[in-house]
Amino acid sequence: MRVPRAARLLLPVLVFAAFLVVLQAWGGRIDWWLPVRTIAVAAAVLVAVRLVPWAALLRRVGPGSRFYAAALYLWMLRHFTSILLAETRRVLLAQRLAAPRRWGRGWFASLASALAAVFARVLVRAERFYAAQLLRGIGR
Amino acid sequence: MTPLLEARELTFGYRKGEPILRGISVRLDAGERLGVAGGNGAGKTTLLWCLLGLLPAEGSIRLFGERVTRKSWRRIGVVFQNPEDQLFMPSILDDAALPLLNRGLAPAEARPRAMEALEVMGLAHEAERPAAELSLGQRKRAALAAALAPEPELLLLDEPTAELDRPSARRLAELLRSTHTACLITSHDLDFLGRTVHRLALLASGRILACGPVAEVLSNGRLLEDAGVL
Repeated sequence: MRVPRAARLLLPVLVFAAFLVVLQAWGGRIDWWLPVRTIAVAAAVLVAVRLVPWAALLRRVGPGSRFYAAALYLWMLRHFTSILLAETRRVLLAQRLAAPRRWGRGWFASLASALAAVFARVLVRAERFYAAQLLRGIGR
Repeated sequence: MTPLLEARELTFGYRKGEPILRGISVRLDAGERLGVAGGNGAGKTTLLWCLLGLLPAEGSIRLFGERVTRKSWRRIGVVFQNPEDQLFMPSILDDAALPLLNRGLAPAEARPRAMEALEVMGLAHEAERPAAELSLGQRKRAALAAALAPEPELLLLDEPTAELDRPSARRLAELLRSTHTACLITSHDLDFLGRTVHRLALLASGRILACGPVAEVLSNGRLLEDAGVL
């Protein structure tokens, strides 16, 4: 059965929501609104990212507009999310090539290292992105 | 004459007691192109970040005769190794116009100037496309156009030929020669530096091994080997 693309995009959020429930259960009290809200916010963001004509929006609100900074910020956020996804894809691909046997020996350790590497890489990219935009005059 | 950029005895390390840069001194005058060559991990990018005041180095750095401040960034253009870190707008025309808009220019004035910079880089026909849809060579040129659009007095480029093929690197060298803007270029590409810069400094283990006219430095094979670039 083919899983729709949107559902596939939500899969990490569902896993994260399940993880929240497990943590709460471990703590002895489950607030069901927490995972529900997590999924709802992620779904809303996904829909907004897909449906809102961001480029046209950014062009329509010129530098003189009071919404310009907000539009620019959202556009930067969108760009950085794509960097984050690209880095994650690259690291997970490298992990799959290094440990092709899923659940096999070393698979969990390599996955943990890969996820830690994503975090480190994203920090480095964020630092460079921030520095580049600062030098271009954004935030001044 | 006051140099555009002057750094004296720069020392910097990410960890205490492990300096990446050790007593670096560089000077760049108006209209001059200076190359900094070194192998991987020599400290080229770190040096660039320190010169820009993005990393807190010991020693003194003067940009346009003054201490480095956010105000001095208005007069410089920077091209990072990865164009994705710089270009993020809906089109490369918007990206080239952004620094102009941030300097207070009206869109009607900023966009033609941005278009002019893209034309110089041979990218006018791609102006409405986002950087993500362009080849790496085109993205590098777009980043250069965005840096050149505000007509900076000083241009700093970090590994501009990394991941570029030979013809693209040669074209980039021609473009930089034609701008007449003072440049500081870090690279390990000796062929590119030989075509582009007037003076070359060799950086190894955080120290300047040699600095002089590019032909003179490039003719010393022993020195290049010591610097890890040959």
